[in-house]
Amino acid sequence: MTMQTLVDGLVLGGLFSLSAVGFSLLFGVLGVVNLSHGAFVLIGGYAAYTLHEKLGLDPLLALPVIMLGMFCLGYAFQRSVIQWATKRASLLASMLLTYGFALMIRNALVLIYSPDFKSVTPAYAFDSLSFGEVTVGLTRVAALLVSIVLLAALAATLRYSSIGRTIRATAQQEQAAALCGVNIRHVFALTSGLSAAFAGAAGVAIGLVMPFSPPDETLWTVNAFVVVTLGGIGSPAGALVGGLILGVVNTMTAQLIGAAFPNAMMFLLLVLMLVVRPAGLLGNSFKGSR
Amino acid sequence: MKLFVSGRSAWVSIAITLAGALLFALLPAFLSPYGVRVGQLFVLAAGLAVAWTVLGGFSGYWSFGNAAFVGTGAFVAALIELALPGWSPAGAFTVALLAAMLLNGLLALVIAWPILRLRGIYFAIAMLGVSQVCYELVSNIDALRGALGVNLIDIVPKDVRPERFYYWALLLAATAIILIAICVRHSKLGYGLLAIREDEDTARMLGVPTAPYKISAFVISAMLTAMMGVIYAHNLGYITANSVFRNEFNLNVIVYSLLGGMGTIIGPIVGAGVMTYVTQVLLGDLLDIHMFITGLLLAILVLAAPNGLYGIYDTYRLRLKRQKREAGR
Repeated sequence: MTMQTLVDGLVLGGLFSLSAVGFSLLFGVLGVVNLSHGAFVLIGGYAAYTLHEKLGLDPLLALPVIMLGMFCLGYAFQRSVIQWATKRASLLASMLLTYGFALMIRNALVLIYSPDFKSVTPAYAFDSLSFGEVTVGLTRVAALLVSIVLLAALAATLRYSSIGRTIRATAQQEQAAALCGVNIRHVFALTSGLSAAFAGAAGVAIGLVMPFSPPDETLWTVNAFVVVTLGGIGSPAGALVGGLILGVVNTMTAQLIGAAFPNAMMFLLLVLMLVVRPAGLLGNSFKGSR
Repeated sequence: MKLFVSGRSAWVSIAITLAGALLFALLPAFLSPYGVRVGQLFVLAAGLAVAWTVLGGFSGYWSFGNAAFVGTGAFVAALIELALPGWSPAGAFTVALLAAMLLNGLLALVIAWPILRLRGIYFAIAMLGVSQVCYELVSNIDALRGALGVNLIDIVPKDVRPERFYYWALLLAATAIILIAICVRHSKLGYGLLAIREDEDTARMLGVPTAPYKISAFVISAMLTAMMGVIYAHNLGYITANSVFRNEFNLNVIVYSLLGGMGTIIGPIVGAGVMTYVTQVLLGDLLDIHMFITGLLLAILVLAAPNGLYGIYDTYRLRLKRQKREAGR
């Protein structure tokens, strides 16, 4: 029983991690709190839904396509709108700007797809794997695998590739990076693109596991907040740790205390964490957290 | 430090506020019931926004969770009224209002200690968390009746139309809030808060007691917000956790200040007026794309006028002054 709860928590935690890592990256490198992140997650989910319904494309095959599309969207979003806002107004104002975009995207999704719940159901949606007394749906296994593989890929990219190095350099010292010949605007936009791509991927994974509707965007934005605060800003490992902890806390609270309390518990944890260690468990002292 | 010198004296501001309040009090005579309704929304928004400004505008600590105080205030009042069944409506309401304000002041005092140590975005996130926790607790603990809902007592006198009564009640509360905000702004506390906004570390170095000042402003802001929440709840008549812990209360107060002018008192009032007019009157019929247009307005606002309407006025005024000076030479 407890084992099953733990496994469910880990699957949920994987989704939390994946949906938060882009948010974390953007916050860590640009200092921008993107309140439309949850809306980006949903765009990914609805894209998977549309591709599956209209073309019969398997969500896992659609994943790269959606990530590419979202990357372009994120890149354009940074170069056109956010850059303008952060240059003219403050970082806090950019928070308001992205909130405005979240409202617009949510409204547009309601108009296009109706406010009802949708879910992506590939042919293997009802198969499951059993390990002893623990049973896990095949789609859940897929979602967890997608989360872990993508997070590992992002961590490796940031750590070893030259793009990753320039992103990290920019996060640490914008001016110094610019003096070394890094095109700051391009790096910022790349980061934003990566962030959106991972949001899109998270949307696909979420679509596999649970139904979603347009108002969920708030939930995913707030979850990203909590995960990032728990795990630490700007690091994929932090997002993974924060997400998994949150997922397990979530299912354990539902199991042991009551089905109504996971959210209250989550926010209590958030406030406690902010008080005890605002930089998070594995936090870097990057821009946003200083 | 332009703000310190060229600010009109407190008494002029107070006189203007009273005159304005009197003018607004006469308005229902010329408005349709629907117009009075819109007036209620405006006065509520202005009161909440000015209450937010006492902390957010003056000291730069943007709270993203003021709905916590609106909702907690409303529920404390409702539950106290339930516990006083035999009382006259006016008596029960007075006790409920005072208790709600007091309890919210205490709540703010308790959470201020850990939370006000955080700065900038972290304070904002923590307050968002606080408002969510309050919402979840009220809606999930059966004794608090957040999911079920509570009826509030009817405090409208017999010979007054309810929409007018609540318009005046909200107006009275909003006027009180504005007067208190003016007093805070022109007191030593107010100057201390502005110093904290400009540079907290320097302010502390120069002897401003930053922690007590921030906590005082937070408590005042919470109590005033709760007062608005209690009256709003009575206006609704029946409340659930969903109807008072609304995300709009968290974010719109900031939008009003940004639109009108951050850190001023007139700014949030003007911002509340413009936003209420645009969303309720101009876009009242377009419910389908209401959210879209609000979002679009927000985006345009941040991009086009980052310092709000007051910022535009201020630039204009400074330019005029400079021209005058140059002409006099």
